[in-house]
Amino acid sequence: MAKINWFGFAGGVTTIVMIAVSMVYPWWRLTVGDGLLTANASPVNTNFGALGTSFSIPFIWALNVVSLLTLLASAVAMLIYSVIPGKSYSKQLLNFGYKKPLFIVVFFVVGLVVTMLICQTVLSLSIPLMGSTTSTLSIPFVSGVNITVLLSAGFEWSFWLAVVGAALCIAARLYHKKVAAVPRV
Amino acid sequence: MDKIKLILTLITITITVVPLVGALLAYQGNLVGLFVPPEINEIADKFSGGGGNGGGSDGPQVEPVGPPEIDPVSHTIRQSIAFKNPVPFDITLKSLSGDVQCVEHDADVGVASLEDSVSIPAGETRTAILVINMEKGENHLKSLHATEENVEVTLVNVSVDISGIQLQLDQNQMDQRMEIPNFWYTG
Repeated sequence: MAKINWFGFAGGVTTIVMIAVSMVYPWWRLTVGDGLLTANASPVNTNFGALGTSFSIPFIWALNVVSLLTLLASAVAMLIYSVIPGKSYSKQLLNFGYKKPLFIVVFFVVGLVVTMLICQTVLSLSIPLMGSTTSTLSIPFVSGVNITVLLSAGFEWSFWLAVVGAALCIAARLYHKKVAAVPRV
Repeated sequence: MDKIKLILTLITITITVVPLVGALLAYQGNLVGLFVPPEINEIADKFSGGGGNGGGSDGPQVEPVGPPEIDPVSHTIRQSIAFKNPVPFDITLKSLSGDVQCVEHDADVGVASLEDSVSIPAGETRTAILVINMEKGENHLKSLHATEENVEVTLVNVSVDISGIQLQLDQNQMDQRMEIPNFWYTG
């Protein structure tokens, strides 16, 4: 019976499911007030909503396409590798595929943190990574009015699915030695 | 084996470069548009009151509707108020509260709050009930206004929650005076 790297197979399938899910469910969601402003972010689909108008930023859209194709290529490579882990080129497929989901998860979180630090520094607006906080806004040239907004943010289940997918791909790399080992006679 | 490596490298470069270069080419005549979509202007218009059905920069319109209901037992006044939503998007007036201050002496004589939250579609008007409780001012009104049937008051320290956004107005922002009955009027 042919050996299969089940971790790689599960990682590939999970990554494909995660890509499909992330088109609809964001990894991270920010809500200002009672939904007056929203930000739905994931590496494959990021959009914003303000006062009933939703929009995306073309540059971020292009980055989303890069991430989507990268994840898709990684998933396909993991699936091909996982059913033929003993072939001469399998290690290359594995090396191509196993790191990308992890890198995308890490870059996504780092990107969020950097964005928040920029908002904190430039706009003096503190945005939570998870949970809720109130933030006071100052309006230029207007005195006598204090505006306080409730900001709620959090990672959604699709983010945790991506973390599971990334972990399975790493596990596939660790398990590779067992499935690719030539049995001693 | 080298062929596989080359193919994988080419795939990596292609999927990274093509979307970014494509976006740059699509917006080469308008690089700002790559970062600022046209919807941002639409939203800015909404904020400034330039678009939509209720669009106007008049600010919220608040008007009393009908005579107030006066309850001498609980020293409470219930006043229906019509709130017009001047912005072109739906809002919910979740709460409104403030202190009632005697204009003549700058003394707090009561508290005011909205009875229930009210959702107001864009450009439309809805009515909510403002409840003013005057028990806090009993001593002041008995001692300094006992001969006045009505007392001139104003709302201060007004706090408004509109769709989760809280506005706190200081005294200068809320200069609407009104006459309310003095529950401790002795004639």
